[in-house]
Amino acid sequence: MRYFIRTVQAVVRKELRQTFRDKRMAAILFIAPVLQLTLLGFAVDMDVDNVPTLVVDQDRSPASRDLLARMLADATFARTQEGDDPDGPMARGEVSVAVVVPRGYSEDVKKGRPAEIQVLIDGTDPVRAQSAMAGVLEFLTQESLHMATARAVAMAQASGRAVEVPMISVVPRVFYNPSLKSPIYMVPGVAAVVLLVVTTVVTAMSIAREKELGTIEQLLVTPMRPVALLLGKIIPFALLGLIAGGLVIAVGTHVFDVPVRGSVLALFLGMLLYLMSTLGTGVFISTVANNQQQAILGSFFFIMPAILLSGFMSPVENMPEWIQLISRLDPARYFVQILRAVLLKGAGVEDLAGPLLALLTFGVGILALGTLRFRKRVA
Amino acid sequence: MKDGVVIEVEGLSRRFGHFLAVDKVSFDVKRGEIFGYLGANGAGKSTTIRMLCGLLKPSEGRAAVNGVDVAHDPEGVKRSIGYMSQKFSLYMDLTVTENLEFFGGAYGLSRRQLAVRTDEVLRAVDMIEQRDTRTGDLPGGMRQRVALASAMIHDPPILFLDEPTAGVDPEARRTFWQLIRTLAGQGTTIFVTTHYMDEAEYCHRIGLMVDGRLVALDAPEVLKRTHVPGRICRVEGSGASRALPVLGGLPGVLEAHPFGAGLHVRFDETRTGMAALQAALHDKGLDGFALTPIAPTLEDVFLAVVEAK
Ligand SMILES: Nc1ncnc2c1ncn2[C@@H]1O[C@H](COP(=O)(O)OP(=O)(O)OP(=O)(O)O)[C@@H](O)[C@H]1O
Ligand SMILES: [Mg+2]
Repeated sequence: MRYFIRTVQAVVRKELRQTFRDKRMAAILFIAPVLQLTLLGFAVDMDVDNVPTLVVDQDRSPASRDLLARMLADATFARTQEGDDPDGPMARGEVSVAVVVPRGYSEDVKKGRPAEIQVLIDGTDPVRAQSAMAGVLEFLTQESLHMATARAVAMAQASGRAVEVPMISVVPRVFYNPSLKSPIYMVPGVAAVVLLVVTTVVTAMSIAREKELGTIEQLLVTPMRPVALLLGKIIPFALLGLIAGGLVIAVGTHVFDVPVRGSVLALFLGMLLYLMSTLGTGVFISTVANNQQQAILGSFFFIMPAILLSGFMSPVENMPEWIQLISRLDPARYFVQILRAVLLKGAGVEDLAGPLLALLTFGVGILALGTLRFRKRVA
Repeated sequence: MKDGVVIEVEGLSRRFGHFLAVDKVSFDVKRGEIFGYLGANGAGKSTTIRMLCGLLKPSEGRAAVNGVDVAHDPEGVKRSIGYMSQKFSLYMDLTVTENLEFFGGAYGLSRRQLAVRTDEVLRAVDMIEQRDTRTGDLPGGMRQRVALASAMIHDPPILFLDEPTAGVDPEARRTFWQLIRTLAGQGTTIFVTTHYMDEAEYCHRIGLMVDGRLVALDAPEVLKRTHVPGRICRVEGSGASRALPVLGGLPGVLEAHPFGAGLHVRFDETRTGMAALQAALHDKGLDGFALTPIAPTLEDVFLAVVEAK
């Protein structure tokens, strides 16, 4: 036992030394996650604002100027150009929205005739197009409603009658992410992805490197148990993974205002079990790969579907039934679920028994499988 | 275990698929002996060593190292041996001491034992001054010495060295062999493979491997006497190629072959002599050759053995 612990210690110390001596490795472990989170966090920011907008004011009246000014007052649209031909700038990608106020707009409004405003939207990015369309529609609907109400009131007053305008007032209240900021939804997903990439690749590579360099042979000729070797490889990366994970969450809370509403213990537990799964997968991959290149390839073979099925972009519930079934094998799915629940919904360990148990099962399973395969190859 | 025998090998074979890499090899190695395993590339040297180290299961036969059967208790074998694999296998990004510390830890040495042993082995391989140098920054010869140091960090009675001097300059090779002889003198048994024939001269006994089979096994001098009988002389001078058929056909000449710019001629000294060779050349109008007696090398033994096949 004493001997066993000594050998594990020796491997842990060596791994840590090598990790910190290798600037690239340290960068992969600590800088990459933070950088990736920041980049991805901003990149996947799906809130549509500052849409470059072209304004074509053919009416050139105070009414048209006023309408456009109010429409652009909101940060959703940004006036980037003025002109009379919307086609060119849109084709060149300079603007995504063009608003054309035709000649005679103010006349129509004044006379109470239906006025027409033309809105052109670049549909290349459907999400953005839909948001932009919704924004324009919302504004113009409100605008016509106001006009209609004002006119009705004016007419009623003119005829000396009281006026009642019926209206439905909607009071929406959004839970957990009230301002509907997408980073708050995305950050947990990105954190899971980043940890997955880093820990799986690093573990798989660190064992594959020993095979590639031939140092593994020198290890196998020592009486050290294969399990001790694996433990010595996993423990440091689990620790470093926890630190990197904490860092990612910290960046999420500070840069993207992600709240931490639930139990930190649940968060820690979830992360630990998740790391067990990703590290175990790394070990498993390294038993298949003979060199570092194969290890990286093998890792991505696992990482890609794991990310897609994790629901980090689109909710798992929206996926087809059979894909949902497959996603039950994806540890990232459970970790994303845990992260969202803890960070946004204030969940505790007791609320998350299901996903925690699923992670535990996956982690123990893949670690056992990896260890078994590793030992067999050694013998 | 026979008296003083620490490595016992009997009919040891290893198959890779249908390919027989090691074919019924048998030999014994005694305590303190330097046993050289000689053979061309692919002869089966590494395969034999890996079986003896418990890294590879034998297909057939039996081998015991330090009294422990390698097939039944490979873990038991590992405790009493040091192994330096053919591929350089220290961590280049760690310093000399860090490597030793790691391998010492892998053998379960305590901190105290480790400190003592690190000093001892570094002194043994004369690398005290480089103890804090990154292994990757050392020249090849020094790296090999560090590898040796790390293979003996746990003070094993038996060392397996697989081509320890491959790719190292002659000066460093000499230093390395000096070290090996010192270790053997102190009672360590050394099993070493090489394909440098000149190195094999340093061994107490050598086994010659050809295509997985052990075709000759004895002390270098004995091998020379039995496989290369007679005397050898070197023939030097311009037109050596014309001299070859003349000398080759003489009675008493056992063998004549080109060697470098000249020839090597082996003859039965009871039937002919250097003067007779010189005279025969003169008869054919070939003059100006210098004949010098030389000692047979293991290279000659190797050629003779391979030719006899
Ligand atoms: N794991 C393996 N699988 C299949 N064939 C192998 C394996 N290991 C060795 N061999 C084959 O067995 C033969 C002997 O190999 P071995 O490594 O023992 O030779 P060697 O004498 O050490 O040669 P070298 O001087 O090149 O090191 C070679 O033909 C090699 O290709
Ligand atoms: Mg070899």
